[in-house]
Amino acid sequence: MRREAIRPNSALVSLLLATLVVWLGLDTVSVSPNRIVPGQGVDVLGVAGWGGVAASIAPILIVLGLAWRPTPVRLRWATGLVVLMLSALPVWLVVAAALTVDPDMPQARMGIGGGVWVALFLLLLALIELRTRLALSRVLGWALLLVPLASLAACLALGLEPLALRQEYQGRSAAFVSAIGEHLMLVGVAVSLSLMLGIGLAMAMRHWPRAQRMGFAILNFLQTIPSLALFGLLLAPLAWLSGRFEWLAALGVSGIGWAPALLALVGYSLLPMVRNTYVALDGVDPDVIDAARGMGMSRGQVFRQVRLPLALPVILEGIRITTVQAIGLTAVAALIGAGGLGTFIFQGLGQAAMDLVLLGALPILVMALVADALLGALTDLLRPGGAT
Amino acid sequence: MSVGIMNSARLSHRLGWLAPLVWLVLLLFACLGMEELEGLFRLVEPDSQAVIYERADFLVLLGRHLLVVGVAALLAILLGVGAAVAVTRPGGRDFLPLVGQLASIGQTFPPVAVLALAVPVLGFGTLPIIVALLLYGLLPIVRNTLAGLEGIDPGVAEAARGMGMTGGQRLRQVELPLAAPVILAGIRTSVTINIATAAIGATVGASNLGDPIISGIVNGNTAYVLQGALLIGLLALCVDSLFARLQPVASS
Repeated sequence: MRREAIRPNSALVSLLLATLVVWLGLDTVSVSPNRIVPGQGVDVLGVAGWGGVAASIAPILIVLGLAWRPTPVRLRWATGLVVLMLSALPVWLVVAAALTVDPDMPQARMGIGGGVWVALFLLLLALIELRTRLALSRVLGWALLLVPLASLAACLALGLEPLALRQEYQGRSAAFVSAIGEHLMLVGVAVSLSLMLGIGLAMAMRHWPRAQRMGFAILNFLQTIPSLALFGLLLAPLAWLSGRFEWLAALGVSGIGWAPALLALVGYSLLPMVRNTYVALDGVDPDVIDAARGMGMSRGQVFRQVRLPLALPVILEGIRITTVQAIGLTAVAALIGAGGLGTFIFQGLGQAAMDLVLLGALPILVMALVADALLGALTDLLRPGGAT
Repeated sequence: MSVGIMNSARLSHRLGWLAPLVWLVLLLFACLGMEELEGLFRLVEPDSQAVIYERADFLVLLGRHLLVVGVAALLAILLGVGAAVAVTRPGGRDFLPLVGQLASIGQTFPPVAVLALAVPVLGFGTLPIIVALLLYGLLPIVRNTLAGLEGIDPGVAEAARGMGMTGGQRLRQVELPLAAPVILAGIRTSVTINIATAAIGATVGASNLGDPIISGIVNGNTAYVLQGALLIGLLALCVDSLFARLQPVASS
């Protein structure tokens, strides 16, 4: 056991060596005089000279040393240093903005370079590895991330005006906020609708086993059709319907916009939802149901007070899968005019404005991760026996 | 967990090779004979000059789509299965928790976001799409290969060891065959997602079956959209039914 404990943690060592290589090898920022001209990459040496190189690689080397002889105490120190380095990344951008962007050129902008992105990714992986090794709780893991987030918020508030991502945001802050609203709205409505439909369908399938095979076959079939194709296929029928029935058109239903997006989202969401709900309701121990009936509960009471609560964690798992999937699919729905954050992605791709693409893609990524974490935590909490 | 998948697997086993064959024939017919359906598309789009997408041959678009998805899938299978096998061997055990966590967190990333983030790094064109599809396609394969290998009864592995099998023999003759159904399910998920994502790749300069859809949406020509959607849908169903046929029915 003791021999085991002092073997180098090779995962952590490799991650930090890789961080060192990309930090020194790739450009950390790129500077361009305006939005149209492609940026000029600047590496660590170019930004802050040899002093900057030494200061920035010192913590990496220290963590490397700690990971070489990873006792729990050293791993705790390493965790602190990794959090510190993550918090230092936004500060680095402030420094880089001050040193590389000419203040006399108001149009000048600074992009975040590959070095910073890859270092961010690798350091987050290192944090995950440390969290696993130290067996830190999920909540504590998330709490650790609050420090770098606070640092980012502070840096955005204090400086970073030349940051291209920020400039793209400031040009369309109102559109950005409403896009997030539309995105969340579509996801929320689609998930709630498919939850209600899903519970209904799952109960119907339990009632009529014959319908079960057919139902799952249809839902599987729907899930196989690529999202872009399904959005496209709904265009014509909905356009026809809205042309045919005035009250539908009055509701805002048309071939493009929210109506086909919502229909497709619900269609995709049904399979994971019905499958999990079905398995959950079916998986409740029959003895428990018997006992509840024996206590004189009516069928409805048994369902509401026994079966549903016991099935809840697995149903929630279905909601989690569905929500994460819907957040991604809603981005595609922007192509058929449904709005949401995908709008920025496709606008940016069309204009070859990569920072605009990031403005759309990053919040989607964050949303998916947050939804996954929150619903995952809720599932853990509701599982019999409480949080694990 | 996989009631639906199991049912459809059983169903397709009874149908044999019929289902993939029917979808394939339909797909080829749709590719070659789209002009025959001109009257039908004219109904949808009575005012447009052209109702059949003619900027590229449908067969060429299908070929490009298959090429991109195929190359990405092949590399993802090699790398994904390889990585999962490596971290379950004694030498790579240190990396197991990290790779497992990465594979499950990574699946939270929406494919569109991955595609969009690949463009600033890799540029426009076919290569970035292959790389993005490869990276994204890795995750389900790694995850399922890990689950398959970890799920093997330790007694079986012990018995193989007791029979004097070397590490390589155990892997090839015992572990991989036992894990095969789960690995195949991962590959199926990966390829299904990638067929859909590749179509969205048409917005970042790759030319494939997503082209007619994007062009139709941009120009307001529903007939183009329908043609692209029809072909991608048929392709997806064809490939999926092929996997359903290959996948052995899980014994319950």
